[in-house]
Amino acid sequence: MRQQFQYHPRVGYHFVPGLKARIPREGGGGYLVATNAQGFRCEHDFTPTRAAGSRRILLFGDSFTAGDGVANAQRYGDIVETMVEDLEVYNFGIPGTGPDQHWLAYQTFATALDSDLLVIAVLVENVRRVAARFRYYKDDLGRRVCYAKPYFLLGPEGPELHNVPAPREPIDEASLPLEDRDAIDRVGRFPRLNQLLMKTGTVGLAHRITGHSSYPQYDHPDDPDWRLMSRVLAEWIRSHPGPVLMTPLPLYYHIEEIQDPAPYQARFRELAEEVGCHFHDPLPDLLTHSMDERKRFRFGVDVHYTPKGHSALASSLAPVVRNLLDAPA
Amino acid sequence: MSYQVLGISAFYHDSAAALVRDGEIVAAAQEERFTRKKHDPAFPERAVNYCLEEGFIDPSDLDAVVFYDRPLLTYDRALKNALQMGDAGRDQFLRSTRSLLGQKVHVEDIVRRCLGSLGRANELLLCEHHVAHAASAFFPSPFEESAILTIDGVGEWAALTVGRGDASGIEILREIDYPHSLGLLYSAATHHCGFKVNSGEYKLMGLAPYGEPRFVQEIRENLIDLKDDGSFRLNTDYFGFLTGDAMTNTRFEELFGTRRRPPHEPISRHQMDVAASFQVVIEEAVLAVARFAKAETGSRHLVLAGGVALNCVANGRLLRAGVFADLWIQPAAGDAGGALGAALQASHINDGARPRPARPGGDGQLGSYLGPAFSDREIRAFLDRRALPFEHIPELDERSERIARTLAEGKVVGFFSGRMEFGPRALGARSILGDPRRADTQSKMNLQIKFRESFRPFAPSVLEEEAGDHFELDRASPYMLLVADVRKEHRLPRDRSKWRSEGEDMMPIINEIRSHLPAITHVDFSARVQTVRGDTNPAFHRLLEAFGEQTGVGVVVNTSFNVRGEPIVCTPADAFRCFMRTEIDLLVLEDYLLWKDAQSPSDEDEAWKARLIADDEGESAVRAPSGSGPVPVFGDPAIAVEAGRIWREELAGAVGGRYFAARPDAGLPTYYLSREGAGVEGLRTARLGSANAIEEALLELWSDARDEGLRAAAPALAALAMRLKSLDTQDGELPEFVYTLF
Ligand SMILES: [Fe+2]
Repeated sequence: MRQQFQYHPRVGYHFVPGLKARIPREGGGGYLVATNAQGFRCEHDFTPTRAAGSRRILLFGDSFTAGDGVANAQRYGDIVETMVEDLEVYNFGIPGTGPDQHWLAYQTFATALDSDLLVIAVLVENVRRVAARFRYYKDDLGRRVCYAKPYFLLGPEGPELHNVPAPREPIDEASLPLEDRDAIDRVGRFPRLNQLLMKTGTVGLAHRITGHSSYPQYDHPDDPDWRLMSRVLAEWIRSHPGPVLMTPLPLYYHIEEIQDPAPYQARFRELAEEVGCHFHDPLPDLLTHSMDERKRFRFGVDVHYTPKGHSALASSLAPVVRNLLDAPA
Repeated sequence: MSYQVLGISAFYHDSAAALVRDGEIVAAAQEERFTRKKHDPAFPERAVNYCLEEGFIDPSDLDAVVFYDRPLLTYDRALKNALQMGDAGRDQFLRSTRSLLGQKVHVEDIVRRCLGSLGRANELLLCEHHVAHAASAFFPSPFEESAILTIDGVGEWAALTVGRGDASGIEILREIDYPHSLGLLYSAATHHCGFKVNSGEYKLMGLAPYGEPRFVQEIRENLIDLKDDGSFRLNTDYFGFLTGDAMTNTRFEELFGTRRRPPHEPISRHQMDVAASFQVVIEEAVLAVARFAKAETGSRHLVLAGGVALNCVANGRLLRAGVFADLWIQPAAGDAGGALGAALQASHINDGARPRPARPGGDGQLGSYLGPAFSDREIRAFLDRRALPFEHIPELDERSERIARTLAEGKVVGFFSGRMEFGPRALGARSILGDPRRADTQSKMNLQIKFRESFRPFAPSVLEEEAGDHFELDRASPYMLLVADVRKEHRLPRDRSKWRSEGEDMMPIINEIRSHLPAITHVDFSARVQTVRGDTNPAFHRLLEAFGEQTGVGVVVNTSFNVRGEPIVCTPADAFRCFMRTEIDLLVLEDYLLWKDAQSPSDEDEAWKARLIADDEGESAVRAPSGSGPVPVFGDPAIAVEAGRIWREELAGAVGGRYFAARPDAGLPTYYLSREGAGVEGLRTARLGSANAIEEALLELWSDARDEGLRAAAPALAALAMRLKSLDTQDGELPEFVYTLF
């Protein structure tokens, strides 16, 4: 399998530029990935100025935005581009990252680009990634390897950047001090148990019975992980000279009504009010679809959005984007 | 609107996939390169993924998907073979039932599951096995019309076909059916000499020049009745494959006066003489069949495919015999090439009357560089992620001169350049290179890089324009499929009678210096030549030029980029791993040079080496026969019981029927079978998704009144197929007897 990502000392990594790859999907099939000359999974090469009459969105997010599992044209960003007149969407999605690394990518690759709107899509899960300092990835032989990532800590003046340049080489987990091992993103609180529940189709039942919340970080405004992510987002949004739209992307827990979305919805809404950015919560629109349809918004054990999921999200987002772009400055 | 077709070969040996667009090859690759399992027979999911990647299309954009075999015909042969053996065939029936009805019959479902779509055709097309071989040989060839010869172990029934190709397509004129097979004959000899069937044939060929062909008469009188017209029959009394135990039996061993070379026993003169004898017989047979093909078609050209077409010594002899003005051999002549042939045939049928593209001066195989390439950015990303020290020399001349100098210093270079080769030979895209002038190159490359002791010299790659200066070769050999002698003036005198008397130790003979290019000159002064052109692999060509400028010899040693027991490397990561595990001095990844002494030592454990040693393929040792032993246990014992019941009760009426001639019949004028009708039918469709469909297809196949017993068994067999479908029937390693079945 082709190596999709290239090391970047400040951002951590991004896609290999000019890549054309087909990535096998777990459980069969695969999807086509094309990246631009700058190393992002975007149909446009990034140029500083936009063409006369065209409007431009800078879209940041993780694998749900980069489109793991689907072809470039099937992603919500690309669909929004076709739904809104004279629009080009610059997709900066980087799989496996959170808003901390997205902010670094913004600083490194986007500040010199003209734009009409900055869209920050935050997958609900990202609150855990921002708190992580290490994360596991699979290498070309499918072996798990641990890499350190750039990260922020909250200092008296706000978020402080650490671990830049990020080390290139994998970390041996056994060599880490114990306290650091807690800072490894193991992808979920109980990844193995959750996988088993997913395979047996009992995840919803199990979560409802136990009242389990996958993201307790959203339960209180003072939760340290939420504090860190919200401060990173706040600084980023305030630093951007133009309009910003923040949109939290729900996981299947919320789309399939397995867990209560109210805590995360409240936190993001409060944050948007505090920093004065635009806010769109797509979940209510997604919930208007039948449960059968909503279950087809994810692949299965792979919880990334299917083309149907992307399409539903795009339908929720496009009118908001159009209104913001059409509104007089 | 372009027509895009995906070809697939799978479930037997060396699975592969190929993508053809409007008759032109877009991509082709073997599954083993991606899964890193040598000769991987599994459904080629990764190779399919690569082909779709290269075409940058989704499965739903395909017009058709075509499989290289007609599974029910193969099952028909396996079943009739088992029936012919009477009760002795029962075990074989159980085994073949599982593999065929459990998997191959359901190939349409498997493809649909893997791809999610069967393209616009929405059904899997099936191409007859030898038609796929013939298509793989003719359509990419440079000839407008040609005779076609396909020779392998066995397809569905056919083991050899003679045909012709022209603008209207291919036509099969004659065939010789199982169990009469030159491929199986050669494999039996391979097995007898202690090499692995299906991959060790090459070693047998390499061993032949050391021996005296003193068994030719025994072979001609007892094993094969070869008519003047090239048609033949084997005497199956000498072979084990009909009962499914092994390739040979005790009568075979008695004929040659020894048992099969057992595991870990060194090669002796006996094996050399056996190898030499079978080589002579195969060459005689191929030559006779070729003369027949010439007479039948009147063509000036011949194209070849099928595993036996990889016997480049026979090809060289065929060329020198001058029967045809020119030859073209499909480089992926084995079953991997069936994926390509099936796709080309489907594409041709769709095109109808449209002539295939003209290929003035070249062929359509693109140098067989049909696999993945890796961009500069991808390689840089790989090096960066690992923080590997490298030297970047983007300028081709400068880089080539640097690599050439390294080679001339006696160092060994891993050369990774452009798209990976399709077929068993490394052709300068994934190659390990050395200096052919040095006497120690062969032993260094063998021991320190391939971890083997070999009697086979390495192959030379030579500038096409310089080939005639070194070799007695008057034409291009871009795919390393022709053997030519080193020119007389370069040979060093030697006394062959002396080494015959030197006992059993081969090493002094192997290490003897025989020409100005000792590393590539075989004991009979032959060499397996690759000629290199600038238009198909410019980087490799430039390197040969640079080496020629520095040394006066535009020739390098070229061996496949892998260690023993491992498939050829595919990705930069594979290449780097192989580089670090061996004593390759310099790794060239496109524009990047990685020097061994600049790298930190590999922290990988040495377990991989033990695995390789264990996976020895009989060069010095051999595995115990794997085909014998008790009937394999089914995942579900009830299936075995059910299959046994069908054998006893349903097939009872058919047992004892004779389905093929098992022995020669000297009274016959020829052993060729004529093809009825137009020669090549259109592609069939699979459509075997239900018990009813399987039953109907079996009944159609067995409509002949003689097959009453089989017809009676069809419903039970169809029901069994559906039960087997629910089991996981993916076999890891197939026992070698399966060679004769599928
Ligand atoms: Fe074949």
